Amino acid sequence: MLDISNAPDGTTDAMIRLTGVTKHYEGSDAPAVAPLTMDIRRGEFVCLVGPSGCGKTTTLRMINRLVEPTAGQIWIDGQDVTHSDPDQLRRHIGYVIQQVGLIPHMSIGQNVGIVPSMLGWDRKRISARVDELLELVGLDPSVYRSRYPKQLSGGQQQRVGVARALAADPPVMLMDEPFGAIDPITRERLQAEFLQLQERIRKTIVFVTHDVDEALRLGDRIAIFAEGSRLAQFDTPLEILTNPADDFVRTFIGEGAALRRLSLLRVGDLPASVDSGEPVDLTVGADETVAGVLEKMLMAGAERVHVAGGATLTVQDMLLATALPKHPALR
Amino acid sequence: MSFLDYVSENSTRISFLFLQHVQVVLISVGLATVVSILLAMVTERLPKTRKAALSITGTILTIPSFALFGLMIPLFGLGVAPTVLALTVYAVFPILRNAVTGLETVDASVVDAARGMGMASRQRLWRIRLPLAWPVILNGIRVATIMVVAIAAIGAAVRGPGLGELIFRGLSRMGAANALNEALAGVVAIVVVAAVMDVLFLIIGRVTTPRGLHA
Ligand SMILES: Nc1ncnc2c1ncn2[C@@H]1O[C@H](COP(=O)(O)OP(=O)(O)OP(=O)(O)O)[C@@H](O)[C@H]1O
Ligand SMILES: [Mg+2]
Repeated sequence: MLDISNAPDGTTDAMIRLTGVTKHYEGSDAPAVAPLTMDIRRGEFVCLVGPSGCGKTTTLRMINRLVEPTAGQIWIDGQDVTHSDPDQLRRHIGYVIQQVGLIPHMSIGQNVGIVPSMLGWDRKRISARVDELLELVGLDPSVYRSRYPKQLSGGQQQRVGVARALAADPPVMLMDEPFGAIDPITRERLQAEFLQLQERIRKTIVFVTHDVDEALRLGDRIAIFAEGSRLAQFDTPLEILTNPADDFVRTFIGEGAALRRLSLLRVGDLPASVDSGEPVDLTVGADETVAGVLEKMLMAGAERVHVAGGATLTVQDMLLATALPKHPALR
Repeated sequence: MSFLDYVSENSTRISFLFLQHVQVVLISVGLATVVSILLAMVTERLPKTRKAALSITGTILTIPSFALFGLMIPLFGLGVAPTVLALTVYAVFPILRNAVTGLETVDASVVDAARGMGMASRQRLWRIRLPLAWPVILNGIRVATIMVVAIAAIGAAVRGPGLGELIFRGLSRMGAANALNEALAGVVAIVVVAAVMDVLFLIIGRVTTPRGLHA
């Protein structure tokens, strides 16, 4: 039986490794996924983005073998899973499908408890776990545990979908546009909540989205796919905004890359300018983002800001320091 | 003698035949339900067989019941057996059709999520798909039952049990004393059986539909 919760001997820090993974659906000439090789590290949050039909869902579903690869190998925690029992494998990988797929005739509690009950946990443990998870995703267990999926809003259902995928504490989570069908405001709140959650639970997450902003916001690294499932760039959000690999990536991230970088850069990382000794209006922490600090300065009408334990910056300094590298001002 | 006098005078016989009628209907529909659901399950990965099963059982429905009962005589003789068999054969189509539709129209994303959680195909069938298809299947059973209640009366032609006996006897000695009352009692009792069954199914539906599926 497969047990992916224990690394064999720490041979690699890649939690998920795809080597030359290819998918050819029968009856179509072009492959849905062209040979794809990528490593996803333990505890890493990776977003897959790209235009519709570029093979994101197919890639995700090959990892838990809902789709069988035509060629290539998939390793999870150092073990080749292409030959394991798929049902056993899936019980140890959390999967959130885009359409949520809560089981309508089961209560919320039963939905969340499905995998633990298949793993043979006793009732007490399942019930305690269900309550813990509902709290984790911000749903009061005493209110929601015995409700049915129909009695929940779309956003609440998606939370339950996430809780259900987390139920047996799988080290790996696959999430296919989990916040897809949610209005922008709720969506942003769920994203923020999910980031906080990830701080605590540190899963290895593969997260599919259409939305570049969502990817930039959530991902430790982002894999941008081009048409025909070409992996155009696989890097950190900052690196992608700063050095887009090609025109496809540049077009895909769209306008406003320079402004978006401001919410990724931390003021502590900016080169310190010479302290002129003039009085400062505001002091901020080194790990605050440039965008956040600019916001504060604009609100306070401050001209200069002191970064705790570091430099004093003017608005001018900050903008120059964060300009894209090719900008003549930095040359 | 008035109709009501006739009924009260013959109440023992009428209620005996009434219960027989109900029994024969329930047994046939019960058998047909088991057969249909098994057929629907077995043909899950055999679309051609499934299509064939649907068109064969559908065609059987078009055979006039009098003829079907008649055809049973050389094979199974007279009495309960040919009646139950013929009724079962009739009842299969509506149930099979609804079982197939019900299983096929279960929300694919629900089944996909279950598969993604590592539920084996048999578990998906018993824990997910059959419960979700149940209201549709039950409706097929209800339709089959109402249909079979009426057809069962023809079973009297092969000496089958049930209320058909009243109708056939009444009609065959039309003009004699109480002949009309006898036939009429049979017809009215059959309507009552149908109504009772309908109510029964309403209740069964309420009780057996999983809670989360109620609107
Ligand atoms: N079951 C299937 N049979 C045949 N072709 C398929 C199947 N599933 C997907 N495809 C094809 O494979 C390609 C990749 O599909 P996939 O669903 O992985 O794309 P995607 O990147 O997830 O797109 P979207 O953003 O629209 O969800 C598409 O061209 C699609 O038509
Ligand atoms: Mg997709």
